[in-house]
Amino acid sequence: MTEGKRLFVCLMLLFLVIAAAPMAGFSAEQGLPEDVLACLGCHGERGLSVKFENGESLDAYIDAKKFKASVHQSLSCSSCHGEFSGQGQGHPVRSFRSREQFSSKSSAICRQCHADEQLKRSPVHASLLTKESKAPVCASCHNPHTLTSVAGGSKFSSEKDQCLRCHQHAMGITLRSGDKVSLKVDAAALEGSVHAKLGCYDCHFGFSGSQHPKRNFNSPRDFSIAQSEACRRCHFDKYTKTLESIHYTLLSQGNLKAPVCTDCHGAHTVVQARADKLQSSKRCGRCHQDIFGTYTKSVHGTALVQDHNTDVPICADCHTAHSIQGAHTQDYRDKVPEICGKCHGDGTLMKKYGISPGVVNSYLQDFHGVTLKLYRNQKDAAVPNGSRKSIATCVDCHGIHDITKTTGPTTNLVKARLLKRCQKCHPGATDEFPDAWLSHYEPSLTNAPLVFLINLTYKFFIPFMLIGLILQILLHVWRYAVNR
Amino acid sequence: MATTPHSQIKRFGFGRIIEHQLNALVFAMLVITGLSQRFHEYRVSHWIIKTLGGVDTMRIIHRYSGILFATLIVVHIAAGIYGVMKKHWPASMMINVNDFRNAIENLSYYFGITNHPALCDRYDYKQKFEYWGVIAGGFLMIATGLILWFPVAVARILPGEFIPAAKAAHSNEALLAFLVIIIWHIYNSIFSPEVFPLDTAIFTGKISRERMVHEHPLELASIENVPVEDIIKHHPAARADNDVQPGEGA
Repeated sequence: MTEGKRLFVCLMLLFLVIAAAPMAGFSAEQGLPEDVLACLGCHGERGLSVKFENGESLDAYIDAKKFKASVHQSLSCSSCHGEFSGQGQGHPVRSFRSREQFSSKSSAICRQCHADEQLKRSPVHASLLTKESKAPVCASCHNPHTLTSVAGGSKFSSEKDQCLRCHQHAMGITLRSGDKVSLKVDAAALEGSVHAKLGCYDCHFGFSGSQHPKRNFNSPRDFSIAQSEACRRCHFDKYTKTLESIHYTLLSQGNLKAPVCTDCHGAHTVVQARADKLQSSKRCGRCHQDIFGTYTKSVHGTALVQDHNTDVPICADCHTAHSIQGAHTQDYRDKVPEICGKCHGDGTLMKKYGISPGVVNSYLQDFHGVTLKLYRNQKDAAVPNGSRKSIATCVDCHGIHDITKTTGPTTNLVKARLLKRCQKCHPGATDEFPDAWLSHYEPSLTNAPLVFLINLTYKFFIPFMLIGLILQILLHVWRYAVNR
Repeated sequence: MATTPHSQIKRFGFGRIIEHQLNALVFAMLVITGLSQRFHEYRVSHWIIKTLGGVDTMRIIHRYSGILFATLIVVHIAAGIYGVMKKHWPASMMINVNDFRNAIENLSYYFGITNHPALCDRYDYKQKFEYWGVIAGGFLMIATGLILWFPVAVARILPGEFIPAAKAAHSNEALLAFLVIIIWHIYNSIFSPEVFPLDTAIFTGKISRERMVHEHPLELASIENVPVEDIIKHHPAARADNDVQPGEGA
């Protein structure tokens, strides 16, 4: 570029500045230093950009309005961009390898004013300063041309904006355990979560517009466990339920792998847990892989995974979501008919699948069902329950996580389970013994005719006898009264 | 044998009295421990089960009461057969054609067709039917009870369906027996105007001659060795018809 041409460009720029000033709006630029106005002559226009050697580019547009609102509004451009001035050689051509190199060079300028002592007062900055080589540079978080005051936080439209200014970027810390933890928050997921309306400080206690305390966790797990305590502030009912759960018991015994709120619900991405049944059961499957595998092969699991049928029970339907009990307790076993009965006793639901809702009652009214009910009734009474028998329930024949259909190829499997279960309490039971159980059928002329006929006979015989006897008594009394 | 209207006539020996009290006790025990299982929905059943120490304990009580009941029946039948065969006891419990005739006669009397009730011997037809009802029902209860107690052994010989069938029969027969005792037996031995407030015969072993005239005239005639017509001359019902002037009765 020749001397003459450069002069021409400068004059043209000056002309443009003078011509554009009224259009750009004086109000925005009023009160800005002279040289700033001069620079804005070009940099106040959109479309200006800087190209780096690696092909990256950076927008060179400066929003005059935002700059005026920024904390740096009183500075002139050359305060930071020292090599640049309005005169002659005042716009040197520089070249940078990459945007990163440019930013890191620029950030050195910030440190001329913002001394380390000042920076260290913020724990975030302090931790960044200790690992300077890889640390993000000032400009990664703070755009120097639009920078507003952090103190008080009042300059942000929401606290989320304030926190996300930094935490939307890839950032992380290394904990004492050596684990690297990402501190990046996915803003889009946060907006899509059920907590979209909450502010960051609602869960992250101790943090505020002016407070950013340095936390000291040994491991990411320590942090998750501690942080999940925040949930109870709003979800106290669920929290108290979890206190009764096997997961909480394990946790309090020192098993840090036991799940806390965020393990199942997520943190910033928390959604309605029941909204997606498959996802919900998969969450349990993260720890209970074997059981989840068995479940997906069961009649319920297959329907859920393959047909996306949401009528079927998922883990939480039987085990509950928060007050999960140990499934190997007598107490839980006793509840099985009730649990299965929630769906299998529902006439409208069962009609859809051609299953009789009477199966629940046929069990409950039979010897075993009645005994189980009586056991449960006497549980609270001062009756020693230690010697009580374990009563056969639904799962003993139909399977637990591997529940199968009772028709088709798996019929024999169910029958085999039945015999095996009978023999547990009735040693020596033969192949014919399970016939004593009417397989949920109501006695009729075709199924268990003997039982049906006996019941039918008594149904007529008992009233017949009673009416006859009562008539005799009445006649006797009447005759006695007449004779007197 | 000379007797006055108010004198007492011996009816039961000590053995029969003890037998009855034991039977009553065992029956009550069986009913309480059994029907609270049949009617398991009711609160009173829950209370009984808890009071007796839980359903398992209660079932043990029920089974041992059952054994006692079976023993009583077997001993009774054996003693009866021995007595009739060897000691020439009169087989007064046997049902015969006369009993059906008596039933019809009595109904006619109740409806006012005849003027005196059926003339009965040592046991009237009501007592005989009740007695054989207890014996037959008792054997049914013992058999079905044993099936329910030993289902595994039963299933080796009989089809499996016999077990729920036994349960149906055991439970229904129990209800029937309970209702018959509560309504019929309790009426006849407590609330019947002829015995109210209590028929003490099974406690004292004795019965008044007046009641014998009314209820067992044939037996009384044979005890006193007079024709039955002499006995029923003083029958209150007959007297009412014969002596009271029209307009004064009822």
